[in-house]
Amino acid sequence: MKLPAEATLRMVATFVAAFGIGVATYITIADSGGGAPACIAGGSGCQTVADSIYSHLLGVNIAVLGIVGYALLLVAALLRGDTARMAGFGLSLVGFGYSVYLTYLELFKIEAICQWCVASAVLMTVLFGLNALRMLAYVGRPA
Amino acid sequence: MSASEGRRRVLLQLGSAAVFLAIVAVAVLIVVSANQTSGGDVSLEDVGAVKRELRGIPQSGLVLGDPRSKVTLYEFGDLKCPVCKAFSEGIVPEVIDSKVRGGEAKIGFKSFTIIDAESAPAGAAAIAAGAQGRGWSFIELFYRNQGLETSHYVNDEFLTAIARGAGVPDIGAWNRDRKSVATLAEVKRTSEEARRLGFTGTPSFAVDGPATKGIEALGTPGSAGTLEEAIDAAG
Repeated sequence: MKLPAEATLRMVATFVAAFGIGVATYITIADSGGGAPACIAGGSGCQTVADSIYSHLLGVNIAVLGIVGYALLLVAALLRGDTARMAGFGLSLVGFGYSVYLTYLELFKIEAICQWCVASAVLMTVLFGLNALRMLAYVGRPA
Repeated sequence: MSASEGRRRVLLQLGSAAVFLAIVAVAVLIVVSANQTSGGDVSLEDVGAVKRELRGIPQSGLVLGDPRSKVTLYEFGDLKCPVCKAFSEGIVPEVIDSKVRGGEAKIGFKSFTIIDAESAPAGAAAIAAGAQGRGWSFIELFYRNQGLETSHYVNDEFLTAIARGAGVPDIGAWNRDRKSVATLAEVKRTSEEARRLGFTGTPSFAVDGPATKGIEALGTPGSAGTLEEAIDAAG
């Protein structure tokens, strides 16, 4: 099977990371107003998740951490070379791992699903896949 | 093996190690989280509503409002009292919006335990939350989730859930504080203060300001307007 060109992987990762910044920014703005992101299909899952103690880490809304994470992934996707490849892989691995943990919390601790958090988890999973492929296929090779 | 292939192999090994560490970290997080059941099984109402109601208003101890405000309205309440709950949902929010939010007055809560033996630990838990800047959030959230007056719902699990919902940052310190002799003595002291002021039921209100001679008893006014007039007269 022919692997996609690194430029293609970087371009897709750039778009996904930019989309992720949008999603995380929306969650941050909705929460900072004392409310919660609006669930597209109604329901109160987003309110329940936003009101839970897990929505903040050391006093910081985790959506803000999400914005920072996606922004760093965007930079890693825009840059060439092994440093960017490894940084993109490492960052997306942390983001993916944390998304797995947050999804676990939603399902088993908070017992509510927020569609925006799921959207972010999906985007982070895609970014992890793209960055893992970029690292496996191109690390140690000329940019 | 060429130098570039050697470098590639090292970087791939680093990547593999990172994946392994990430799997271990997530597993540890999930196991630790799964064992934290205290307070996690009580589902709370209105966490968001309380957050919105108090957003942007300073909290210090059990006092809500700008510390520079010269007038202080005091509520002597029992967290298990259903009438106090009705006041906290109907009358007090009006006063918060009209007088406290703008900095004209601040409002303080003092425990006046009259219901049963669970009233004192509830009041102490509020004081301990106040020590971490979440006193009024705790009080409001407790009222919103108050159980039946005659039932015994004020246990560790319920109080912990309220503290978590109120955003108390250090639950360990809050637990130590709320059980301390000094905190329980404070609840007793404010209850005695209420009796000295002539109060016999909750909620009872008092006001303190430049135009009052110390703290003056207001009793249980029937409307927010009466409390607002008392604040104006005390200023």
